[in-house]
Amino acid sequence: MKPPAFDYQEPRTLDEIVELLARTDQDATVLAGGQSLVPLLNLRLARPDVVVDINRVPGLDGVEVADDAVVLGAMARLATLERDPVLADALPIVPEAIRLVAHPQIRNRTTLGGSLCHADPAAELPAVAVALDARLHLRARDGGRTEEAAGFFQSVFTTSRRPEELLTAVEFPRHQGFRFCFEEVSRRHGDFPFVGLCFGVRLEDGVVTAARLAGAGIAERPLRLPAAEAALVGHRLSGDLAEVLDAASAEVDPPSDIHGTASFRRGLLRAVIRRAAARLDQGGSR
Amino acid sequence: MTIATRNGDTLVGKRMPRLHDDRMLRGHGRYVDDIDETGVLHAAIIRSPAAHGTITRFDASAARESGEAVLVLGPDEIGRLTDPLPTTWRIPGQHLAAVELAIRTVRYVGQPLGVVVARNRAVAEDLAELVEIDIDPLPAVVGIEAALAPDAPLLYPEHGGNVAGGIHFGPPVEELDALFAGAAHVVEREFAVQRINPSPMEPRGVLAEWIPSTEQLTVWASTQVPHLVRQEVAVGLRLRVDQVRVVTPDVGGAFGGKTTLYADEAMTCLAAKVLGRRVKWIEDRTENLTASYQGRGQQARCRLGLDADGRFTALHVHIHGDVGAFLSTAGSGPFQVAALTIEGPYRFGAAGATVTAVFTNAVPTGAYRGYGMQESAWIRERIIDEAARELGRDANELRLLNTIQPEQMPYTTGTMLTYDSGDYPAVLRRAVEMGETRRRPSTDRIRRGIAVTGNVEITGFAPSALLEMFQIHWSGYETGTIRVNEDGTVTVFSGVTPMGQGIETALAQIVADELGVPLEMISVQLGDTATAPYSNFSSQASRSLPLAGAALITAGATMRERMLGLAARALGVGVEEVKLDGTVFRAGTTGAEVTWRDVAHRGWMGWGRGETDKILLEETVSFDPPGITYAYSAHGAAVAVDLDTGKVTVEDYWTVNDSGVLVNPLIADGQIIGAIAQGLGTALLEEAAFDPETGQPLATSYLDYVLPLSEDVPDIVIEHHVTPSPIITGGFKGVGESGIQPPAATVGNAIANAVPEIAAGLTATPLSPSRIWTLLEQAGLEG
Repeated sequence: MKPPAFDYQEPRTLDEIVELLARTDQDATVLAGGQSLVPLLNLRLARPDVVVDINRVPGLDGVEVADDAVVLGAMARLATLERDPVLADALPIVPEAIRLVAHPQIRNRTTLGGSLCHADPAAELPAVAVALDARLHLRARDGGRTEEAAGFFQSVFTTSRRPEELLTAVEFPRHQGFRFCFEEVSRRHGDFPFVGLCFGVRLEDGVVTAARLAGAGIAERPLRLPAAEAALVGHRLSGDLAEVLDAASAEVDPPSDIHGTASFRRGLLRAVIRRAAARLDQGGSR
Repeated sequence: MTIATRNGDTLVGKRMPRLHDDRMLRGHGRYVDDIDETGVLHAAIIRSPAAHGTITRFDASAARESGEAVLVLGPDEIGRLTDPLPTTWRIPGQHLAAVELAIRTVRYVGQPLGVVVARNRAVAEDLAELVEIDIDPLPAVVGIEAALAPDAPLLYPEHGGNVAGGIHFGPPVEELDALFAGAAHVVEREFAVQRINPSPMEPRGVLAEWIPSTEQLTVWASTQVPHLVRQEVAVGLRLRVDQVRVVTPDVGGAFGGKTTLYADEAMTCLAAKVLGRRVKWIEDRTENLTASYQGRGQQARCRLGLDADGRFTALHVHIHGDVGAFLSTAGSGPFQVAALTIEGPYRFGAAGATVTAVFTNAVPTGAYRGYGMQESAWIRERIIDEAARELGRDANELRLLNTIQPEQMPYTTGTMLTYDSGDYPAVLRRAVEMGETRRRPSTDRIRRGIAVTGNVEITGFAPSALLEMFQIHWSGYETGTIRVNEDGTVTVFSGVTPMGQGIETALAQIVADELGVPLEMISVQLGDTATAPYSNFSSQASRSLPLAGAALITAGATMRERMLGLAARALGVGVEEVKLDGTVFRAGTTGAEVTWRDVAHRGWMGWGRGETDKILLEETVSFDPPGITYAYSAHGAAVAVDLDTGKVTVEDYWTVNDSGVLVNPLIADGQIIGAIAQGLGTALLEEAAFDPETGQPLATSYLDYVLPLSEDVPDIVIEHHVTPSPIITGGFKGVGESGIQPPAATVGNAIANAVPEIAAGLTATPLSPSRIWTLLEQAGLEG
């Protein structure tokens, strides 16, 4: 369980990073927190020619709060974001979901950008990004672009990020008037969940006027649940959610694997919707 | 009722930290991989990518020509240079008497086919990838049912079937059938236990050094059985046994997974011998999860007959055991032990058990902590629970009605085990009582339930005559040596080995007591075949403490008498006048003194000895008990079942355990707690799963092989009963495996109690959320 030989580069500036990524003569992989990449290297499932370690490049880990959005640097460590008081005030769903990611020792290293680019379909943060319509800021030598989260996550461990691009920041719209929470069912605390759900609603007099739901573990990528969202509108969270649950069940096609069958996961999706609704009805997160 | 058998200031019975705790907790453990790297070459093992097939080409030329390979050995070279490794415990009908090292037909994914040696492990792994292997695929046989299907592909066509062997214990099945026919009530169920990976913190590993000039091989091995490894290396490499020395450094857990020499370890030793160099191979976690022998893996059909009063009239179990690709050293042993121990603490009108061992295209099974007795507890305690439910009886009342009474000891079971001692109803009653204060109410979507189970276990597996009867080639006895050195320090040797369990500390406590000297004077040195008395059984089967402890009590008593005699002659008084006080011998009449150290020195000078006394200040005793000593316990669990998710939370867990006289209750508690944690893993989480079509292992990292974390294990409450073993000097019984056996059954029954609607479906572990949820869905409870 040792990696095949690779070249190691340690750029000091963003320009150096994108210059390295732009080289077409070698297959480069970005090393951020390393919590997924290093095991993949050791298991020889990742075989890059060069590992570009971006840990020494300053300025990629900021937390900027504006009226309409929060911009988080891709290199922000989950442990830092988890404890950031400004973020907790502006966008509490992010630290709430982070606390469900792995264990504190791992969160000390894991970065937001790494977690999103790894694109595990059961991971919490990609589901949050999809639920909130986050915009991912990508930089290449020849310029930058912004990608919507819904388009960024394409399949298992696959995103629309091009090999020459670096994810530099993630912009989360603040969705005024919405309250969000994250519910999941995992085998053990800290595991990737069987099913996770980022659940957001806007309420007027206790009635849902808009909803944003995105699930983890229910497809090959984090998925919005538009039919369930539509079914929620006009309902009270404390009311009968059968229509919402049925809509959600009908619009997902979860995987079967050694940890659970598809119908089990579909059942769990119903459970987390009920739980999330009950929590937000009781006040819950914002 | 807890009996204090020793009191005063004896060390036996003292709850004290292990002597190596400080060193270990500071990270100063010295494992195989920590041994001096000077001149060490590194091996990578070439493994089969396929579950079943014939090798048509093994081409290492690219690796050899790379300029990086120090050595590559494939099946041809290995076949020329080695002999197969003999197995230890065979079953009637078994046609395989040895483990092949030169592989022409692959029979599981991960099977070692060859070895590459290079300057470091990474390069060795690079080179292993360059070896081209063509395999003509054969259909994979995955699981017991597939193996027994009428048209199943055969692992050994020349053997004519996938049945590796079979045995029956107890009265003939026809006799049992007649009893079932006459029973007022018969309960029948099919139970299954998944394959488990033993998951030691430190995977396996060997460092082998061959010195060509002296023709001596030294093998540092992470093993439970250094003498067996020595014996197997010698056979495999065609050496005299006295050309091989096996040294066991610190071992980071074993749990039965290190009880033999594996083919990959043998290949590493062979590479060292071919090169005349030091070669190291450390198993990585993927190898550990796929290529180390696994535990459990069985299906069992069980029938329990009861009369109108609820008395057990008959019990029969037919166990189908998945031995995997070939019979490992232990082979079908665990399945045979499951059969032998099926009766547990209960009386049956008649009881018998049948074992059929089955080949499949998976890594072989072998020893794993509990060794069949987790399986028998699961089958027995679940079917008693099912019987109670069908009859509308209280399960514990049914248990107590049928429990063997203390006045019936010694008690011989239907499978001819003779229980030596104990008060089985007392621990059951106490565990039931402890449960009463642990009942918590259910809520709308959380159901709660509790259960209690009973268990009896084989510990201190012996004696030699029994093993001879079964033709099991393990030394049933155990040996202890006490040497008082020239400077008065005391070195203790035994054939048992440490693997983190604390046996060094417990043996030191015993010897310090017997000699009457401070603990600090004792050094227990184990695990080196150059100094350890012969034992190829060594530390497995909960043997170390009862058997080595018993031997050392006798050796210690003799040594103490000899030291008193030497002191008396040094002081010129009669031996009856000499008292040892700390480290000073004092004559009662004259008040004259001589130190323990001076007496030891005089002894080694040969001074002052009686005419018939031997000089060597060393006492060696081999202890071969008249029978097996049986520990027993009752376990209780309180669980919460989430009807929405199928998740089971173990909210409380308790046990009342009798392992005889406890040398160090702190170590005993640690053994029980750790074993219960592992048992909960089997109950709820762990499974070494395989793709049903291809036979590819599916849990190849700890992402997919799910072990219990600290929050999955509640605080465990332990009460001890102490019934001294009447057949073991010192009254000891084993404790290392007692905790792991009942948790699956206890948790399963507690779930059944919480959600009786799904009770009949609780027949297979792990009781994972997916499995429970599916049962809840079938019962219309899932919400």
